[in-house]
This record gives sequence, structure tokens and C-alpha cells, in this order.
Amino acid sequence: MDKTAVKEMGRMIKKMRKLADGLREKAAGIQAVERNLDRISANITMLEINVSDVRDLL
Amino acid sequence: MQKNDSIYWNPLLETLPREKLRALQLKKFKRIVEWAYHNSPFYRRLYRAAGLEPGDIRTFEDIGKVPRVEKAMLRDVQKNEPFPYGDMLAVPRERIVVFRQTSGTTGAPVYQADTWQDWEWWAESWCYILYAQGYRDTDRVFIPFGYNIFVAFWAMHYAAEKLGCETVPGGVLDTDARILKMKELRCTAFGATPTYVLGLAERAKKLNIDPGRDLQIKRITVAGEPGGSVPSTKKRMEEAWGAKVYDHIGATEIGAWSYECTEQPGGLHVNEALFLVEIEDVETGEPITEAGKRGKLVITALDRIGKPCIRFDSKDVSLWSDGVCGCGRTFRMIEGGIVGRADDITKVKGVLLAPTAIEEAVRGIPELGDEYEVVVTKEGDLDKIALKIEIRPGKEGEQEAILARLKDQLRVKTNLGYQISVHPVGALPRYEVKAKRFKDLRKN
Repeated sequence: MDKTAVKEMGRMIKKMRKLADGLREKAAGIQAVERNLDRISANITMLEINVSDVRDLL
Repeated sequence: MQKNDSIYWNPLLETLPREKLRALQLKKFKRIVEWAYHNSPFYRRLYRAAGLEPGDIRTFEDIGKVPRVEKAMLRDVQKNEPFPYGDMLAVPRERIVVFRQTSGTTGAPVYQADTWQDWEWWAESWCYILYAQGYRDTDRVFIPFGYNIFVAFWAMHYAAEKLGCETVPGGVLDTDARILKMKELRCTAFGATPTYVLGLAERAKKLNIDPGRDLQIKRITVAGEPGGSVPSTKKRMEEAWGAKVYDHIGATEIGAWSYECTEQPGGLHVNEALFLVEIEDVETGEPITEAGKRGKLVITALDRIGKPCIRFDSKDVSLWSDGVCGCGRTFRMIEGGIVGRADDITKVKGVLLAPTAIEEAVRGIPELGDEYEVVVTKEGDLDKIALKIEIRPGKEGEQEAILARLKDQLRVKTNLGYQISVHPVGALPRYEVKAKRFKDLRKN
């Protein structure tokens, strides 16, 4: 896989993180939103581990 | 989803050049130490007592300055709040969503806390294992495990789901029902301890089912005991099931840090993207980087946040391999799995004995049953070592010759003479999870 594509994936993952964080701020304690965001956030972390952590080393 | 023929779960990490892997490990090691220092009172106390600040870690060599954590410390810290984990936690108790505990093989159990992120990470680390062992979304995976407080095959279940396999939980079914369900559903893979893999095959034969002929199992993942890397035990399992058997090593406190791939190169890859594994001289603690020299494993889980595991002294003994695997993974390999434990390699009659050597000798003789038991006692000042074995039905007439071969093998592999007693097949205890075949009664 070429470096440009990996860097682009990294940028997209960053956007997902920002979007999830923004949604949490708007949730105002709604459990149905916050608890689902916990799970989404954990999956975003797995994308960060798999892609974002390594993209600057490629 | 795009069709993918890759043999890698994540080619970005699994084929990363070694110097870049090291750079990644250092970056992640610094990050987890920083996290633990600022969020876990236990780690803060430990590091401050050693005069260590996270900023002191600049190079790979600096990692050796970070104090190791031992199992006794994990047990001790559990006396502190918050109940029941103690202040090793690095997140508020409310973020913990999963309780597990160690099996207590070596003492009081350690309670393990995981956040949902940690639990996703467990599944992720197992995805690396299963994918490398050939599991794909076409597999129907059976989990013959008692879904309970032990982490065991929970993570395999979640990883198989994540990978897209159809996953069948064999929870409260008894052994017979599990075998019949695997047959009924034409399951293609399962995971169990080596003991239970052999036990299932033995039981299947009593049901007039030949696992290699009547079931469609193609691959088996073993964990929890060293048998997956003991050649004679692995051979028995593969022959009994007509399937490939792949080893994996992990621990409740650490995670699933090592795996065999489909190349079966005689060693296991260390998942160096998620874990930092160090091998140290058992006596001096000096790092061992060269291949072929045994030492104990000190392991860091680089991404586990709820109850961080940083430089955990596992007491497991292994050695680096200098082999290069044909699979193309750049992850370094350990040779022959876990070859012993620093605290269970014991002296009998003045000779150092690793129980896995007895397993290799017994399981290497096809006429012997799968089970055996070793009991060490002391009479006066003398150690006595007794070995109980079973001889397969129909082979009783060859007992004298079989025992002679066994004694030879034991002498070669362990340098010890044994009092051997022969028992009918089925007389020795059977186990579903971790077997306790080595009993050292001198300590009682």
C-alpha cells in the first residue's frame, strides 16, 4: 500500500475521532448516545493502533 | 467489502521493517508509561520510588530502567481501593466493563479489569492470531469453552466474530454434546487447551466418531498450556483430528502476545506492534537479544489502558529464534513456545527438571494414552519421582518393551530415573481447561 493512501487513511481516522468527540459534547448525557459512542470510540482507537500510529513511520 | 487475498490481518504492521518496528515500540512504550504514571497511583508510586519520570525514557536502552512488575505485586495491590482491583487501575472504576481473573495456578488469583477499549483490543490482538492461522469469514468456529470468569477463549470468540467467522458458542454443553454439535453444524475450526483437544478426540472415539473422518475441522487453535509447541503432543492432536494445530501464547494480565502462523516454522511470532517482549537472563536480569539462549520473558502490553501491564515479569522461559519465517512477517519469533517457567523448573535429585520434557517423552510414544501424572515426594533426604501412565487398549501385551522405550526417552530428555506405574485408560484425571499433571509434594 502506498504511503499517500496510508496518510489519507490517517487523516480520515482523525476526522472520525473529532466527529465522535463532537457528538459526545452534544449528547448532553443521553445514555443511548454516550454508551454507543464508547463503543465507536474504542473502535476508532483500534484504527489508530492499526494505521495512525504507524503512518508517520512509513 | 473488497475481496482480499492477503495473508495478513494488517500488512502495515506485520511487514513493517524491523528498525521501524523498534521505533514504533519505543513511541508506544513512552506513551503507555506516561499514561500509567499520570493515571495509576500504583505505577506512580513504583516509578517515583525508582526515581523515574516518564521523560527519562528517550532510547530503547532506557526501557531497562523501568521497574518490572511481578505477580505478587498484582496480588498485593488488590488490598487497596477501588475494590477488587486496587489502585493499579488507570481509569475510574466506572469505566471498567469486564471482570476476569487468572486461574490461580501459581497462587491467589489476580483480578483483571478491562475497559471496553481494552476488550476491543483483546479481540483485535486475537484477530492477528486467527487471521495468521488461516481463519476467514467462510469458517464456522466452535468454541467448546465454559464462558466464565477466565479470559481463555472469550477473546477468541469475539475475534472470530470480528473477523467475520460464524461463531458457535459451546458454553454449557457437555463434551459429548459439543462433539455432536460440531458434527451436526460441520464446524471447520475450534479452540481449546491441548489437554481438551486430546480429551475431545478420545471421547469422540467412544461415541464411534472419528474426528479426522467424520468431522470437518481444518484448524485448531490451542492456548493455556505449552502442549501446542511440544512436538509429540502437537503430532498427536493433528493426527487425532486430521487438522492443523496452531499454538498461541497469552496471559490474562498481559494479553494475546504471540502466535504461530500457517507456515508452522517451529516458533511463534511475537506481535511486536501491540507488545514489547524482552527476554532476560533468569539469574542476572541482563537482556538477552541473541537467538538460542533461554531466559525469562518480561512483557509490556503497549495499548492496554484500564489496568496497564508494563514490564511484567511473566516467569515464563523462552528463547529468541534467528529463523526468518516464510510468511513474510517481520515480527521476531520465539523458538518452541514456552519451554518452562522460571518458578517451576525445579531440582529433583539434584537435576534441573522442566515438566514439559516429561510431556515430550510420554507423548512421543504412540502406544501410551494421552494422560499422565508426575508426583515428586521426599523420603528422608531423598527425592522420589513417580510417573503414572496409561497404555492404550490392545497394547498391554507390549508393556515391557513400551516401558523400556519410555525409560530411555525419560533418561535422554530429563536425566532422571522414575518409578513408573501403569494404569488402565481412563483411570487418570481428565481436564477441560488447564491440566495439573505435575505435583511436587515436597513443598507441602
